[in-house]
Amino acid sequence: MTALKVSNVSKSFPGVKALDAVSMTLTGGSVHALLGENGAGKSTLIKIMTGIHAADQGEITMEGRPVRFANPRQAAAGGLGVVHQERNLVTRFSVAENIMLDRLGANSLSRVDYKALAAEASRWLKQLDLDIDPMTPVSRLSVAQMQLVEIGKALSLQSRVLLLDEPTASLTPSEAQVLFRILRKLRDDGVAIGFVSHKLEEVFDICDTVTVLRDGKNACDSQPLKTLNRDDVVKMMIGRAERISRRAPRPQPAAPPFFELRDYSSAAGHENVSLSVRPGEILGLYGLVGAGRSELAKAVLGLARQTGGEIRVGGKPVKIGSVAEALDLGVGYVSEDRKGEGLILLHSVLDNAGITVWKSLANALGFLRDGTVAQKVGPVLRKLEVKTPSLDQTIGNLSGGNQQKVSVAKWIAAGVKLLIIDEPSVGIDIKTKAYLHDLIHELAEAGTAVLLITSDLTEMVDVADRVAVMDDYRIEGLVENDRNYERVSTAIMALIHGREAA
Amino acid sequence: MNRLFDNDWVGPALVCLVAVVGISILQPSFLSPFNILVLLSAIAVNMVIALGQLVIIAIGQMNLALGAFGGLVAICFVAVMELYGVPPVIALLIGLAIGTAAGAASGFVIARTGISAFIITLAGLQIFKGINLGITEAQPFYGVPQSVKDFGNHAIFGPIPWLIVPMIIASVGMWYLFNRLRIGRYILAVGGNRTAAELSGINITATIIWAHAISGLLAAIAGMMLVARLQIGQPTIGDDWLISSFAAPVIGGAVLAGGHVSVAGTFFGVVIIAIITQALVLFAIDPFVVQIVLGALILWAVGINRYREIRVAKLNEAR
Repeated sequence: MTALKVSNVSKSFPGVKALDAVSMTLTGGSVHALLGENGAGKSTLIKIMTGIHAADQGEITMEGRPVRFANPRQAAAGGLGVVHQERNLVTRFSVAENIMLDRLGANSLSRVDYKALAAEASRWLKQLDLDIDPMTPVSRLSVAQMQLVEIGKALSLQSRVLLLDEPTASLTPSEAQVLFRILRKLRDDGVAIGFVSHKLEEVFDICDTVTVLRDGKNACDSQPLKTLNRDDVVKMMIGRAERISRRAPRPQPAAPPFFELRDYSSAAGHENVSLSVRPGEILGLYGLVGAGRSELAKAVLGLARQTGGEIRVGGKPVKIGSVAEALDLGVGYVSEDRKGEGLILLHSVLDNAGITVWKSLANALGFLRDGTVAQKVGPVLRKLEVKTPSLDQTIGNLSGGNQQKVSVAKWIAAGVKLLIIDEPSVGIDIKTKAYLHDLIHELAEAGTAVLLITSDLTEMVDVADRVAVMDDYRIEGLVENDRNYERVSTAIMALIHGREAA
Repeated sequence: MNRLFDNDWVGPALVCLVAVVGISILQPSFLSPFNILVLLSAIAVNMVIALGQLVIIAIGQMNLALGAFGGLVAICFVAVMELYGVPPVIALLIGLAIGTAAGAASGFVIARTGISAFIITLAGLQIFKGINLGITEAQPFYGVPQSVKDFGNHAIFGPIPWLIVPMIIASVGMWYLFNRLRIGRYILAVGGNRTAAELSGINITATIIWAHAISGLLAAIAGMMLVARLQIGQPTIGDDWLISSFAAPVIGGAVLAGGHVSVAGTFFGVVIIAIITQALVLFAIDPFVVQIVLGALILWAVGINRYREIRVAKLNEAR
């Protein structure tokens, strides 16, 4: 029986078509995998189903009736439960209260009956084989236990449709098996389960049908998983296998590494990370969401304590305690979160591009004239073809692509010798993306060492010279990039999934 | 022992104890019945004011208009009695209604516009203060009935003032709200993790309006308590509430980001501030010293809270 049907749903965000006529059918009593690379549109689709975003076009029906949830609350009331990728718990509250958070009483002035809450909650905890006192504050739980509490919370709504967005990301294999046992039981009870995961082993283990998204479109729509094998699914996820890069592989520069990590460990959780980037080289750092790549960049910049190993810049061991120290050493970072961490949206293009050079341009008295800054950053902005009416334009008014150019420009203006670029093409159109790739290459040709972090395999194969593969805060291996998409992507996936299978 | 110190109120309570013992050794008149009566009256009013801010801190916001609510209610309370001869009990209900409505209106604007509570209540402060001055033309109302004056200045027995009664009701009520009522838990949930609360199906708008309405109600109670104590309807009532309304909850362990407050801790925070202010009079200390001590106390309290957070984080990491 069809529990939830998504038909031809489209959704555009400024500059991007996130979903283009996507369809998917979830059936009661079956587990449905929703797959796709990062940025393929899975999260957007889930957000539309649960009423966080509104679809531009298309229809969603539950048990035959068209539904359009205005917010997650309505979705939950309509029988659609979700376990989101991020933890959503009130950590100071007890486990029981978190599970029953929307049912603490009939009305605002109802008395909270903690005994009843605990009794109801422990029913669900028992189902999850979670042996904890329901009155324990969530802040005392391990991450895996918190995850299970979230699942308990969704289960307790007795949803007819249950969506799980990467539910096993923070679980150990044995904890995941417990979860799967529960999911199978729920499935046998007739619940329709939507399951998002990057771990294909899990998908083949528990799912019955599969929908694959690629670049916001259906690569397949609700196909039985029995008819497919692993390679078929991977091929659908990453696109036509014979996709070939238009750039020739570049010879490795001979210079000694400019930047090197030796058995580097951080308080953020990285263990024994070793990698090196030569001047003029583009080293890719690939991994799935949560693998610890951006965290590595930030840790190296001094935002997390170094707990072991060595950072070497220009051949000398260094300690980096802050971004300012990193900049003094010639290391710059273009954040993946352009709007949140990279740019000051309310400030002008000039201020945003010049922020890194203020210190060096200020005169002896510490005074800084806009003219001086404009002289320094103007040529860089022109070279990058930043389209802005004037340097005084508020940067928030520029397109995503132009914003991204400015976030790169500020580091070029500062003359950094290593540029760490984190997800450069998130939220920008294809043309600017190609332009940015050219730009990264030009930078490298000019002798800058580049560390490129991206979850977009195509981009990785297009741009990087070598690819370091990270999983679970460790480097799993290094892949030479010969621009053969098939070979490189298979090698990368093997490194990531090899560990899981073992 | 460590468990005991995990309670927010233990630290401030110890400070109170040490202060009381110390001051009374140096200045035995500190424990005179009259002095205790004065001290308890001040504590009673300031506690209700602090609770009015506490409920907004719990949801992770701030209410700069608290004093303006209280001042407006105070003068309206006296005005209806003086100008229209309304009996005190009815005037009291009118005052409670005005405070609650003003709070609810402010909460509604905050929840609906998504503009920060800081800005909205800053505007509210101006508006309600303006209405206050418009009504009073900056002149006090003097027509406070004797029964109201008595309530504000008489003792139940010994050194225990009648003003303690509304304070106890408000304190127990707020403790019950935060720990036992659905709306109290929702206020803390929204303050603790707004996204989680929203995704769990909690009506954020309604919760914010509730919090501000309760804040307005408490401001109204405090405003009318001050009328009883001062025996006139002063237009300046509420002007000086702001600093101590934040200081007491913070000393009592409240997290300004929201989600965690302590009614008992706030009580001891209020007592500490009252004792410091009293010490000023008893020892004829320069007022500026009091300011410095109060500032240092706030830093100390925030420091303790921060230390505990770090310790909890470390414990979690170790696990």
